[in-house]
Amino acid sequence: MGFLTVLKKMKQKEKEMRILMLGLDNAGKTTILKRFNGEPINTISPTLGFNIKTLEHRGFKLNMWDVGGQKSLRSYWRNYFECTDGLIWVVDSADKRRLDDCKKELFVLLQEERLSGATLLIFANKQDLPGACSKEELRDILELDAIKTHHWKIISCSAVTGENLLEGMDWIIDDIAARIFTLD
Amino acid sequence: MSVVRETRDSVSNKPLGRADSSVITPEDVLKLTKIADTYLCEPDANIYEIDFTRFKIRDLESGAVLFEISKPVPDNLEDGGDKTDNDEIVDPNSGRFVRYQFTPQFLKLRTVGATVEFTVGSKPVHKFRMIERHFFRDKLLKTFDFEFGFCLPFSRNTCEHIYEFPTLPAELVNEMIACPFETRSDSFYFVDDCLIMHNKADYAYNGGTAT
Repeated sequence: MGFLTVLKKMKQKEKEMRILMLGLDNAGKTTILKRFNGEPINTISPTLGFNIKTLEHRGFKLNMWDVGGQKSLRSYWRNYFECTDGLIWVVDSADKRRLDDCKKELFVLLQEERLSGATLLIFANKQDLPGACSKEELRDILELDAIKTHHWKIISCSAVTGENLLEGMDWIIDDIAARIFTLD
Repeated sequence: MSVVRETRDSVSNKPLGRADSSVITPEDVLKLTKIADTYLCEPDANIYEIDFTRFKIRDLESGAVLFEISKPVPDNLEDGGDKTDNDEIVDPNSGRFVRYQFTPQFLKLRTVGATVEFTVGSKPVHKFRMIERHFFRDKLLKTFDFEFGFCLPFSRNTCEHIYEFPTLPAELVNEMIACPFETRSDSFYFVDDCLIMHNKADYAYNGGTAT
């Protein structure tokens, strides 16, 4: 049994997944996390550190990490890459001015070796706002089709209305589970 | 984390906190079979200025916040009056102990979320880990063991553990209600596997009942 197999077996036993949420500041990472866990979302301030939730969902133990996205914090993101099974990249679909920045940061992350095995979900957030880019538009602008190294999917959502949050989470969990927990 | 674990090993409480500055590790506290008699580190062991600023417990089913306590932000403290004239001796352990009083209904909850919020001082923190152990008398009810890992300097962080309440036998629940403050917990915090903070709490579940 190879080392990787041993590792997979260990994870399988506990059915634990580590999901890291990143994105530019004000993308809505914390709001998504809170909304997904049934917490009020009326008083959310910029994250100057991290927010973690551990929960059981569909028989899996999820450890979800939301790390602040301000420019000064991004150099610290690498401290949270270890053992990440899924990366959720959150995009403010209405902030067209910063989509170029958004694309650059995403592609820097995808170079990262410690994230090479992670499933990538892109949340096209803030679909409730007028003028928000559709997921098809974002797919072009962010050049997502250039991503060949990761399993990825873009899903449009709104943290405010809750639209598609569960669908997105279920997709990333299914994809991770198919990679990690199906060895027997 | 959400399961009730019974202590299987019969290791007794060895004296852990010697007077010298010997390091207490996670392995040491995981061996404890009862609540620690003393604080296993000094308050000044917290050289990282890690400060707990909020505790919250909510019921996931109703969404109700059952308990919330937060530290006033420093600005508000200044409004609270100047304390320099005060000759009172401050108990160095006062900030390390919390007493919780719940109603019996608390023990009937199914899914709860327990949030802590903490701030970090000027130094980055590596391998931050929390081990929390809950006992009723000498019976281990629950162990939380969670590694936060890296914490940014000057950061404010939150962590919510959402978990199924352990199903306790009715007899034990009745005893816990009948014997306030015999349910107790030790919270140990480690940086790089070295104990830097130790907080204690005790719990009563007879609130609202006639005594």
